[in-house]
Amino acid sequence: MISGSRQHRLDPKMVWLLRKEIKSVLRSRWLLVGFIISPLFAWMFQGAFLGFVYAQASVEPERIYITNEDAGIWGDYVYGNLSESMDTLLISELVDVTYEEGVEMTDNITVSVWIYIPAYFTEKLLSNTTSHISPLNITYNAASFRASSAATRLTNYISGIVNSLLIERLVNIQRNSVAPQANYGHQLAIFLVMLTSVLAPSPYVGQSFAGERERHTLEALLVVPMSRLRILFTKLVAGLLLTLIYSVFTVVGIVTYNLLVILRAQGAIGGEAAIAYYSVDLASVPLIVFCQLLVLLTAISIGVVISCIAKDQASAESINNLVLLVPTMVIGILGFTGSILQYGGLFGLAVLAIPFSHAVIFLNGVLVGNATAASLVVNVVYMLVFTIVFLIIGAKLFEREAIIV
Amino acid sequence: MSETVIRTEHLSKTFEKGKAQEVRALKSVSLDIQKGEVFGLLGPNGAGKTTLIRILVGLLTPTSGRAWVLDRDVVEDIDYIRPRVALLPQEAGIYERLTARENLIYYGGLYGIPDDALQERTDRLLDIVGLREKEDYQVRGFSGGMKRKVLVARALIIEPQIVFMDEPTTGIDTIGARVVRNMLKKISSEHKQTVILTTHDLHEVEELCNRVGILNDGNLAAVGKPSALEEEFKAANLEEVFTGLVTGEGVYD
Repeated sequence: MISGSRQHRLDPKMVWLLRKEIKSVLRSRWLLVGFIISPLFAWMFQGAFLGFVYAQASVEPERIYITNEDAGIWGDYVYGNLSESMDTLLISELVDVTYEEGVEMTDNITVSVWIYIPAYFTEKLLSNTTSHISPLNITYNAASFRASSAATRLTNYISGIVNSLLIERLVNIQRNSVAPQANYGHQLAIFLVMLTSVLAPSPYVGQSFAGERERHTLEALLVVPMSRLRILFTKLVAGLLLTLIYSVFTVVGIVTYNLLVILRAQGAIGGEAAIAYYSVDLASVPLIVFCQLLVLLTAISIGVVISCIAKDQASAESINNLVLLVPTMVIGILGFTGSILQYGGLFGLAVLAIPFSHAVIFLNGVLVGNATAASLVVNVVYMLVFTIVFLIIGAKLFEREAIIV
Repeated sequence: MSETVIRTEHLSKTFEKGKAQEVRALKSVSLDIQKGEVFGLLGPNGAGKTTLIRILVGLLTPTSGRAWVLDRDVVEDIDYIRPRVALLPQEAGIYERLTARENLIYYGGLYGIPDDALQERTDRLLDIVGLREKEDYQVRGFSGGMKRKVLVARALIIEPQIVFMDEPTTGIDTIGARVVRNMLKKISSEHKQTVILTTHDLHEVEELCNRVGILNDGNLAAVGKPSALEEEFKAANLEEVFTGLVTGEGVYD
């Protein structure tokens, strides 16, 4: 007779199953790649990419071509000032070219930045007419971060030194923006958590359920003296433990990303502001991990249902990716570019029905600090209820005779 | 005095295939199997052998009729039956990323066998099937025959009262098949474990089985000792009995 206290102990059979599940995954190169390399790579790539863009835009100098045909004094004035401020303006070289050479570079798309000061520059500048034609042209390669940034710097600088030159005939619109979202780093965290966590459990779930059936190991497993619910539960626990590896390496990835951003921006002009904008506040990491675990749990529950229906592991993974990728991309991009809650109508309802939307809303709310406790709880509860419903469906499917027939 | 360990009464199983179609895999099968017997379950592909075994180990529920294993109803008392029976399925898979030893230990662990006994049984079974030297190799590098040996050992590690073996020697070389047959003889004669064996090798059946049951299209066409069946159907050997029953071509009156 089993005593009451023994009944509540963890069943050793479940421990055996748990150990086998984890051991199999740890020995599987590709699953390990999914759990470790994927979050690391995603964050490191983002960090390196941002560092590259930042350096291109704010650290690395650009070669500037200039053609000064002005017959008056203002062309020489602009040219002289540019020559003296090359370091400040991150100009590596100020190269004089003829108009024809400038046009040829433009046609060949080999130009980085070309400033063309026309012959009538001073005349137009000093006239009192209200012409809408700009007397100075800056042509730049829009495909180059460095050239685009240099063009912006030059426009601002030339506008500044010849104050009335460009703006006196234009309405001076001052743009002020109020961002409802968290900073770039946090938006990136939301986006990456969505994108990678939703798809991360797919190989494990596919292997553990559809894979067992495909490799004909399920039949022998289902005759062992353990209820199918216990087998299912143990496999879920194994999945959660494995996703912890994923979470740990997500944190490592975030730290690495921050380091890459800091390495590039530190010491540069506006570097501190850039670091504050682009980096992820480490104090928010526990919340990100919490949210990630919710997302992983939900993704596992959906994966179990798909895996119990699919014929084999490859089908399970393909269907899982198809089912999850589209909403994930939609939610991830919406979460990255603006508040999900701004979308109304049927589209808004559809977006809100997707459980991962609530992870985005939750993280946004917490990171920006404008969410109420009640709204945060609603988001978490929605995801948990969704997960539980899918797990119940998964359990029913796992209990069917058809699982082995 | 013989002891019945498996009994079925008018056991039937029907599978629904879509809305309009159904497949009657077993049709009113009644059968008794005694303790310590090696019972050969014969029949062509699709005859219902695997379905019968799956019902007896609780993987499928009968559509009608009843079945008892170790005097317990397979539907109502499967929790009692499961720790006492082992199954080697026909297309049994193996955990490729575990070693041969780990596969046995893991399976035994799922049956709650204490660690000391588990280690001792694993050593013994790996010795018998000749895989002791490769026990720490991951199974994915094994040949099909070696994997099948691991699976046979895995089924026996729990020392079941009844073991269901669906084509245990398929894919194993001649020497390996001999080893498996000797193991089955030994567990039956010395340990009084009951073996339910399906195979297409009728010579194996004649060598191993005390009795056979021939299933055809879901019906139990004949059951008895091989020699008794040969006599009953006036056949020279079991193959003639089998062929006659399955094809309906007269080797018997």
